[in-house]
Amino acid sequence: MIKDIPIIAEQAQQPRRTNPLAHVFDELMNFARSRSLFMLHYCTGCGAIELPPAMTSRFDMERLGIQPMVTPRQADILLVTGYVSIKTLKRIILTYEQMGSPKHVIGICSCTVNGGMYWQSYATAKKLDEYLPVDLYIAGCMPRPEAVISGLQKLIDNIKHGKSDNWKDYYQRYDHYLGNQQHLFGNNWQTPTDVIGEAREYGLFGPQTLGQHTELLESVQKPLQPLEMKL
Amino acid sequence: MSQELTRMLDTLTKDIAGAKVTLKRARRMRIDVDADALPALLELLQGRGSYVHLSAISCVDWIDDNQFELVYHVWSYESNSLVSAHTRIPRDPGVYLSIYDLYKPAAFFERDIHEMFGLYFEGSPSMEKFILTEWEGPPPMRKDFDAEAWVRDTFTERDYNPEWLKELTDAGGGIAIRPQDIRK
Ligand code: SF4
Repeated sequence: MIKDIPIIAEQAQQPRRTNPLAHVFDELMNFARSRSLFMLHYCTGCGAIELPPAMTSRFDMERLGIQPMVTPRQADILLVTGYVSIKTLKRIILTYEQMGSPKHVIGICSCTVNGGMYWQSYATAKKLDEYLPVDLYIAGCMPRPEAVISGLQKLIDNIKHGKSDNWKDYYQRYDHYLGNQQHLFGNNWQTPTDVIGEAREYGLFGPQTLGQHTELLESVQKPLQPLEMKL
Repeated sequence: MSQELTRMLDTLTKDIAGAKVTLKRARRMRIDVDADALPALLELLQGRGSYVHLSAISCVDWIDDNQFELVYHVWSYESNSLVSAHTRIPRDPGVYLSIYDLYKPAAFFERDIHEMFGLYFEGSPSMEKFILTEWEGPPPMRKDFDAEAWVRDTFTERDYNPEWLKELTDAGGGIAIRPQDIRK
């Protein structure tokens, strides 16, 4: 069962485009992008076991142009494989915010959909898409490599047709996501990334970017200190 | 072999009041002992009985008896056998002696039990948070902590009949039996 989750927020004002060939370039770029995806697999749970066969010679995801990547800053896909404990979720959000746009999140395993078999556990977060804009879920406990591959193919298709832009939703409805994060992590929650500033920079500042939760964030936010260099 | 082991343990524990040795399986013994006699028993087991390896300390919350049960699993490399020393302490105030001076690994097990059950070990080197460093609630493994209620308060449930699933269910896919029908 694979389905993309619709964006709820309305599109923010985009600058008017004058170049008549703009959409041709867009299509070309989308095609190129969909064919060369770097994947950061954040192996949180048992579902990660299905990734080695999906990556290596048997199912070989590299034939789709998908390669593992070592750092978040160079990755396009964040693959969350399995249950996310609340502690891990904080690290996932930190990782996600460091990735350069456009970025896509895939939740593998039932546990990322609704908590799976950990539905009554005090330690795991239940719905990943409350905290991050998930592009695609691959359900199953755990999904077979075939399912993983078909999910990735679906993502490639979506990117090619310019449909997979849930990452914009994070900027446009930052207040909503931040609210859910604060609900789980407490009011002192903050990340080193300036998401609101980035939203302005990308031209994705929407009416729901700011709200009561971002106000709360501003009131508790401590400015980042540069790390002390010591030899 | 097992006979000898039980006999050896019987002799070893004869001075300890209330200690009862039972053979569970070949090379697996259980000793029930009073809480005040447990450190003396472990000292005997370690010093005279060659049980030098503490594999784990486990804790059971018997909420109806208002007691915690502590189980110390010790292993001997000479007789290749495992002894589990069971003892019970009152749930209130939930304080017990550390065995850190006998077995060094106990520091970790006791810290873990303190975190999960709220039991305090006197003399343990550190009773700081261990794994649940970002957890503010009550010790989660206690029977009086209702994890399900906590989850219900903290999270919202996933909608099992969302709009977008319709086309999948119409085509014969999706969830055939709803979770609420299974639990009935
Ligand atoms: S859905 Fe199943 S396999 Fe996947 S993380 Fe949860 S328990 Fe593990």
